[in-house]
Amino acid sequence: MKRFALLSLLALAPAAAAQSSTLSGTVTIWSWDVAAKALQSTVPGFNRKYPNVKVEVVDLGNQNVYDRGLAGCAAGGADLPDIYSIENNEAEVFWARFPNCFTDLNTLGADRLVRNFPAFKWTELTAGGKRFAMPWDSGPVVMFYRRDLYQQAGVNPASIRTWDDFIAAGRRVNTQFGGRVKMATIANGQDDEWFRMLANQNGCFYFDNAGQQVTVARPGCVTALNTIKRLYDANVVATGDWGGQITNVKAGRTASAMFGAWYEGTIRTNAPDQRGKWGVYLMPASRAGGPRASNLGGSALAIPASSRNKAAAYAFLEHALATAGGQATMLRSQGLVPSLLAATRDPYVAQPQPYWGNQRIWQTILGTLGDVPQARGTQYFQDARQIMIVTQADFLKGRYRTAQEALQDAARKISSATGLPVAR
Amino acid sequence: MTTAPAPASARPRRRRVPAAPYLFILPYLLIFAVFWAWPILSSFLLSFRDSRLGEGAPLGTANWSRLLGDEFFRTALRNTLVILAVQVPLMLALATALAVALNSRLLRLRGLFRFAFFAPLVVGTVAYSAVFRLLFNSDFGMVNRTLTGLGLPAVDWLNQPLPAMSVIILALLWRWTGYNAIILLAGLQGIPEDVYEAAALDGASPWQQFWRITLPLLRPTLLFCLVLSIIGTLQLFTEPALITNSGPGNATMTLGTYLYQQGFRSFNFGYASAIAYTVAAIAAVFSAIQLRLFGRDT
Repeated sequence: MKRFALLSLLALAPAAAAQSSTLSGTVTIWSWDVAAKALQSTVPGFNRKYPNVKVEVVDLGNQNVYDRGLAGCAAGGADLPDIYSIENNEAEVFWARFPNCFTDLNTLGADRLVRNFPAFKWTELTAGGKRFAMPWDSGPVVMFYRRDLYQQAGVNPASIRTWDDFIAAGRRVNTQFGGRVKMATIANGQDDEWFRMLANQNGCFYFDNAGQQVTVARPGCVTALNTIKRLYDANVVATGDWGGQITNVKAGRTASAMFGAWYEGTIRTNAPDQRGKWGVYLMPASRAGGPRASNLGGSALAIPASSRNKAAAYAFLEHALATAGGQATMLRSQGLVPSLLAATRDPYVAQPQPYWGNQRIWQTILGTLGDVPQARGTQYFQDARQIMIVTQADFLKGRYRTAQEALQDAARKISSATGLPVAR
Repeated sequence: MTTAPAPASARPRRRRVPAAPYLFILPYLLIFAVFWAWPILSSFLLSFRDSRLGEGAPLGTANWSRLLGDEFFRTALRNTLVILAVQVPLMLALATALAVALNSRLLRLRGLFRFAFFAPLVVGTVAYSAVFRLLFNSDFGMVNRTLTGLGLPAVDWLNQPLPAMSVIILALLWRWTGYNAIILLAGLQGIPEDVYEAAALDGASPWQQFWRITLPLLRPTLLFCLVLSIIGTLQLFTEPALITNSGPGNATMTLGTYLYQQGFRSFNFGYASAIAYTVAAIAAVFSAIQLRLFGRDT
């Protein structure tokens, strides 16, 4: 056995060396903001392996990448880069409308990497037996909290295990600060992030994992919507949009914030003066002992079929996304949370983070990756989301008698917008 | 009356002449056909295709039947009509008053005022939307600061349906009143001075002059402004997209933002085409009604 392994190593070594020197040319990447900076930070490492490949990361901004990708695919692949950044939620729209616009990464060897990433990350990236993109970052959900405010209210974060505990803690915070500080800010009428995080935690989503049925009225989603209503009615949360949530964090009007782990960078850069005051704990469960993991957001990288330099582009994908070194580089430089399971063992993950009161937050956050239930946005994600935003706002306003009734109405609307049947 | 037949020798030449002008405008016609006529026709065909099924989707009426039962479309239509019913009359009344004031001989620095009221149109839409967002920010906006300073309660402008709609209407008023006033001013200056002199001699008060002379003679210009404003409102996109993002909920979603959402967020071009054709049809009906009601003898 040992000899066999040695032999195969010997056989592989020259092949790898040959590949490094033969790959050449330029690889262009379209991406956005911190994500583009994160990709850029992996380029020096890549160039040590492939000195003849020039990598150009173009920061177009999120919306522009999406719009120009759409235009390029509609024009049969014209003017697309060699590597295209795509958000998981929106990915399926591309595969469904333009199945020939992107390269099946299996033909380049991605099928060998399947087990290196958690299953939930592949769900939206594969369609019709083709693997259209490689998982990049992910958004494991955690609760960020203000140590000082919790302490003043006599709340011990370790004792918050369920949403009931969270509400009880919120009442204490309300008493302590006379209602001026809330436990968190939830979007209502602008977004349905809290519903998505809680639904995913309870194993439910807009659609089933086959993308064939509308499942938003199933029990897990009902529990999710009920929890939001309970938080709202108990007056322990404030409401506000994206900007309002950040404002509340900066002004110390909320003692916690729940989001995908990429929110770490948002808090750290928006409230640098609160260094050392923040900490992290797992999202509360719906029932004692229930799952405390969920995912919100995350992106992937795809190679357009029109790329003239696919081999080099794929080599970059492998280096940046499928090696622990590449992923850890992006985590370190921009706080991009890795999808790669092996990255959880990188030494950086175990380091205490000064901003977060020297807590080893990345261990806590990445430790949930394997527990995240699968969920699928499908190509109808935006339709379903718009409907849920309105349904949640109406339910909180009291337009429906029960969460079940509200979600049945939402399911009916999603069904008529998408043509998919409502699950029985 | 009869005309003598043209001499036989002239006939063939007359037949050849028309070819030249058509040849000259042929490039334009080709460009028009490729970039205007074809897309319009193609989007009509697209409205009968479920573009979410991919290239080879069969023709059908799925989009149109969805439109009939679509609550979001009805919300968008209702919001658009509310803006139309509230903002357009308010704006035209203000614009008329402004135009009369700007036309007054009593006013000094007329040029400066004319420019000042026209200026909002020159400001970039993205910039002005950002300014409105800041002005109406619940916590730090100048509007709420002023309200609370006067002892009035602060309003959560952008997160409540009715206040959000008011912000949109205020923004539209700020941007478009001056523009309409300048057009109406041109109309006012077309009214001959001697009509007013004659009226004054007959003892008509300024108020009577306004109702009996200014308004009736201004009707064609007002109608022009009305038709443009209604078509503009039916296509309204910038303000609800950039100031309130169609929210909260769908409280400020208009036909324009819903069309965009379906076309470019959900990639549902077939359905977006159906919405676009409906908007165009509504605009045509509105214009026809106005021309019939107010367009007599003009």
